[in-house]
Amino acid sequence: MKKYMGNKLAILLFILPALAIFITFDFIPIIQVFAYSFTDWNGLTIPNFTGLKNYIDLFTDRVFFTSNRNQIIFAVVITVYQMLFATVFAITISDKKMKGRKFLRVAYFIPVILSVTVVCQLWSAILAGDGLLNKVVQLWNGDFKQNWLGDRYKAIYVIAFVNAWQWMGYQFALIVAGIKSIPSDYYEAARIDGCSNVRAHMKITIPLLAETYKFCLIISLTGGIKAFTEMNILTGGGPNKSTYTLTYMMYNAAFKKSNYGYGLSAASVMVIECMLVMLVINFIFRDRDQKKEEEKARRKRNA
Amino acid sequence: MKKKILSTLVCLTVAATTIIGCGSQAPAANTDTVAPETQTETTETKTEEKAADTTAEASGDKVTLSIYTQYADDDTKVPYDYAVEKLAEAYPNVELNLIVQAQDDGQTLKTLAATGQLPDIYQASTDIINTFRESNQIMVLNDVAQSTGFLDKLYDANKDLAYAEDGNIYAFPFSGQEYVLWYYNKALFAENNLEVPETYDDLLNCIEVFKSKGITPLALFGQEGWNTAAAYDVIATRYTAGGIKALDEGSASITDEAYVNAAKKMEELVAAGLYQDDATTTNYDQASEKFLSGEAAMFINGQWYIEDATKALGEDVDWMFYPAEDAASYEAGKAVFSGGGSSSGFAVNPDSENAELAAEVAEFITEKYCEAKVMYRHNPLVALNTGAQSDSELPAMMQKLSDTLPSVTATTKFTWGLTNSTFNDAIQSESQGLVSGQFTAEEFIQDIEDTME
Repeated sequence: MKKYMGNKLAILLFILPALAIFITFDFIPIIQVFAYSFTDWNGLTIPNFTGLKNYIDLFTDRVFFTSNRNQIIFAVVITVYQMLFATVFAITISDKKMKGRKFLRVAYFIPVILSVTVVCQLWSAILAGDGLLNKVVQLWNGDFKQNWLGDRYKAIYVIAFVNAWQWMGYQFALIVAGIKSIPSDYYEAARIDGCSNVRAHMKITIPLLAETYKFCLIISLTGGIKAFTEMNILTGGGPNKSTYTLTYMMYNAAFKKSNYGYGLSAASVMVIECMLVMLVINFIFRDRDQKKEEEKARRKRNA
Repeated sequence: MKKKILSTLVCLTVAATTIIGCGSQAPAANTDTVAPETQTETTETKTEEKAADTTAEASGDKVTLSIYTQYADDDTKVPYDYAVEKLAEAYPNVELNLIVQAQDDGQTLKTLAATGQLPDIYQASTDIINTFRESNQIMVLNDVAQSTGFLDKLYDANKDLAYAEDGNIYAFPFSGQEYVLWYYNKALFAENNLEVPETYDDLLNCIEVFKSKGITPLALFGQEGWNTAAAYDVIATRYTAGGIKALDEGSASITDEAYVNAAKKMEELVAAGLYQDDATTTNYDQASEKFLSGEAAMFINGQWYIEDATKALGEDVDWMFYPAEDAASYEAGKAVFSGGGSSSGFAVNPDSENAELAAEVAEFITEKYCEAKVMYRHNPLVALNTGAQSDSELPAMMQKLSDTLPSVTATTKFTWGLTNSTFNDAIQSESQGLVSGQFTAEEFIQDIEDTME
């Protein structure tokens, strides 16, 4: 294996196809997004350079701040909901004594395989003014009837819940796989030491799933920043753009107003935000050994 | 050494396979481009499947033109089917490939334009016309309009609709002046001893009575921005005849007293409960169902809804003149309607292989659309005078509208007829905010003012 890894030509030839695809379909389009964001391009004509105009307009647009606030709310809600419930459910069904494990494992994952449109239509019917949820609420307390999707401030939480409900199963599957890879010896040793089940999971399962959680965190947070589909179907971004995100701003500017330059400036900010989030997560979850080495290097420098 | 040679050979094989794999795409693409010639054999049976093919096909005298147009309900299917039938008689060598128009604010069409795959004929809105004009992807139809006699057939009231801002004809419009009508359920009003409201005080009284009976006063489909914009416009036109049209053209400002008063009145009506609580998340089907089932007493929609409303409610449905501040404004306002015409219609791709023929066909189809709408949809509000007559008596509401039209002195615009896309976007979202009851009239005015600046 070492010989193969030492063969630079082999490495180059093996990574070349993937690299070429990445550069063609990811890297170059992203560069184009940034380039066109400095123009007045309408999607069809030759673009004219307009400098920072699009960015100045974007940062002074009230919807920009609403969009960023919504993205943060969305990302936090789905991250907390998905990671919390996925962990609890995964640990629960990992207990071999538990009855109905197989059924629950499938049940938790079913929403993931449904189309987003189907899920949104389902929740749209439930959350409508005279929908199931309000009917149930009325039975309990008639005054608590809510305009779940039409509320300027609450709608984003409801939309985030719909997304979290659908994709929780995906993180659940990842965590279940992670738990299965943990040797059972650790738990046996813990039991011999008189450790309770909860404490064993707190001290063994969760720390050993750090890499899985890192991945879950990245997909949740970047998913929150890129959110679009649910708001498009459930609220159309309304009322009055109060459930907009940067993706929605991009869509609205490009496809409704034919102002691709402005739309791509919103997209550029979104790309930067996603990259920043990933950098922060990578920093937080950086390897312990790496941390120690960094500490050593720092001490050496100081000495 | 042997292993090194072996690994190099394996690597080269992988690379060669990849390159060959990529290379094999090219002939496939070429095959696609040549495909039209072979596809002609199956044209008759597979026209729907070939909908995405935008190349005019020729096999002998046979020419296939692709057309991108609405084909969703009776109002769009009946005219199209009629036009195709008549086209087969008048142009036996021409066949149409229908690409059903998506309700996506022109995204599909713009994407087709960006990738050079525009259909030969397409239904273009004002926004599309303005965008494609800049990129020369829409044909100037001045000569065709002249040679086919299209201009002579246009009703006087619709002469302006044919021309874009630069004075050229880019599309053949088939819809004439259209109007926003304020429908009401006569039976519900009678059951509750209510008169048709003429002033806002009357309307507030109606709202109170209907709400106390658990009836939605007015079902709005606020998920569609045009409907909330129309809801604002029917109030704005009671204060100034220009309505949202004057704002779009820049001849009036949202801070003008009339528009501020209209916003405040709308805020007051929303607070009183004119619309259903979830109006901003209600779609057309839901709102229409509420009105047609008697759950809602009033409804705002275009005059094209007359046919469906009459079918469902018979004589129990009618439209009213929009209520106003006082009796004098109400009487004066009878001559001003929200709505209006737009230059949208059938446009032609100038890069089409059969552009000249497509232009002729587009004009022919436009004419047939007008005929079908008059004859089978009982809608005399079409762009052209084709001499066609309705196959039965006009519905009472349409007859009432026809009788009213001679006294109409001003109309505004539907949102799809607005030319300023920034204002269009703003009025749709801001009016939705007003309808939600969570945005004040001050916010409405301020936000639109900021956007327009």
